[in-house]
Amino acid sequence: MKRSPLILAGLLVLFALVPFLLSGFWVRLVTYIFMFSVLASALNIITGFTGYAAFGNMVFFGLGAYTTAVLMTKARLPFPLALAGAAAVALVVCVLLGLILLRLKGHYFALATLGAAEAMRQVVDNLTGLTGGGQGITLPPLRGKPFLVNTTFYFLMLVLLILILFVAWRLSKNRLGYALKAIRANEEAAGVMGIDTTRYKIVSWCLSALFTGVAGSVYAYWFSYIDPPTVFDVMWVVKMFVIILIGGAGTVFGPVIGAFILETISELVWSRFINLHLGILGTIIILVVLFMPNGLLSLVGQGRGLKDVLRSIRTGENRI
Amino acid sequence: MLLQAIVNGLLYGAVYATIGIGFSLVWGVMNIINLAHGSFIMIGAYLSYTLFSAYQVDPFLSIPLVMAVLFGVAYLIQRYLLNLVVRGSVFITLTFTFGLQILIANACLLVWSADYRSINLPYAGLGLELGGLVIPYVRLEIFAVALVLSGLFYLFMRKTRVGVAINATALNLEGARTVGVDVGQIYALTFGVSAALAGAAGALISPIMSINPFLGGPLVGKAFVIAILGGLGSTIGALVGGLVLGLVETVGTVLLPSSFQELLGFVVLVLVLVFRPQGILGKRFYE
Repeated sequence: MKRSPLILAGLLVLFALVPFLLSGFWVRLVTYIFMFSVLASALNIITGFTGYAAFGNMVFFGLGAYTTAVLMTKARLPFPLALAGAAAVALVVCVLLGLILLRLKGHYFALATLGAAEAMRQVVDNLTGLTGGGQGITLPPLRGKPFLVNTTFYFLMLVLLILILFVAWRLSKNRLGYALKAIRANEEAAGVMGIDTTRYKIVSWCLSALFTGVAGSVYAYWFSYIDPPTVFDVMWVVKMFVIILIGGAGTVFGPVIGAFILETISELVWSRFINLHLGILGTIIILVVLFMPNGLLSLVGQGRGLKDVLRSIRTGENRI
Repeated sequence: MLLQAIVNGLLYGAVYATIGIGFSLVWGVMNIINLAHGSFIMIGAYLSYTLFSAYQVDPFLSIPLVMAVLFGVAYLIQRYLLNLVVRGSVFITLTFTFGLQILIANACLLVWSADYRSINLPYAGLGLELGGLVIPYVRLEIFAVALVLSGLFYLFMRKTRVGVAINATALNLEGARTVGVDVGQIYALTFGVSAALAGAAGALISPIMSINPFLGGPLVGKAFVIAILGGLGSTIGALVGGLVLGLVETVGTVLLPSSFQELLGFVVLVLVLVFRPQGILGKRFYE
């Protein structure tokens, strides 16, 4: 236990040095992995900690990205103000959606949020005057040497990641976090114990939405071009689910570990087999769900190894 | 124009019912939202396309074969894969079936390529004229077959041993196990029947739509809406849900600008979910 602060400090120094040691390609790749770590950690707060599978969380990413783009191109605001605007929009929309959708549970909540994301994509697609519609929107890029640009976005994402990890770490041991765990375990019982479940659920989803929206904002400025199919892509949420599963749902550092594993595999494997891209991702998803539903660590501990899975496949009945 | 839209919507709604029945069966019995349900429909459509283009088999005649193939595939998937995680959380089963969906999409992409495929039946242009209305024979035939399939399913669930066992498992798992129902086997059969109906729906719609490997996602969305509208695990409910969706869609295209349709669908869905989560008819599981 005493060693963990040392390890963290070491990792932090290592990550701070990355832009000065690696080439631009790798710096961008690590930035991308940081972004997925942030998104997965944010989703983990509502899904892993609270037990609500927010399948449509990309709605906040898309809103954050589009708010930033519109504020920077139409209102000509500087990026920091646009980022603040993106955060505000994500929060407001999350409270409104939460008041309606968080009354639903289980599958109903999951698919209603998916519907919300789809509906929002359609709205953005159709508000052609403001958003450019299906043609997308181009942001004024950050000017400067490639090294400086890469390093700026690298540190922006790293700071965002550190912030959300701090939030998740606090949640793992404060009152709010315990309340969320109680809701995940048994919402009715939590309510009876005096936990204001609606309020806590909305706070939890808003934390998730805030970081997702801000990540969308940084993404928009970083890529300087966005269009509705990309920033509202359901596939991203599914990737985040897989990342959370690999790392372990409801843990603080799990999503980061999962993001590094999945994105490294993606870079090494799928980019060479474009035709099999989806198939390989699908196979990874199925294997992860079958072999490590409780995260990578469960394989080492009391999880089910290859033998268990093979045995249950033979008998055809395991957890039924 | 409006009347024609209403007739088209009702005719199309019967196919939606076939789609919704299978989807809500799996949901009701195993508490699984099968995100690959749309992919099963797509496979059905592709199989019937291949049988038509290679051997000139009429899509309506290919239905039994398509159903058999999908039943077999889905049975194996449930028995040897899904059964392992069926007791997992919502998040596990959703993720699993999504993985299945993109795997199937990729397989279809490799086999049939990304081109849009369609079937041109020799009698596609013929239709029944009633006053100002034109009802193509193809659509009538689709409507009739879909109704017959729904009826057969209704009988299957009430009159056969397997159907009754499925009902029993859904209503009381422990009770069913106590009287000797092999739950793993029943789950596999349930998934098989659901996929067979999806495949039949795919074969049915193959003559009136263009088929591509990315149909799976949008079709699941529809299946979900139908199941919600109809209430879980009810055959009649799915029929009502299917007809309502068919009507809303076709009448919506006449009355509303296209930009509002998706939003309207979402609003209706959320309203039903929040105020009538038991569906329009509001029956308990399996009437």
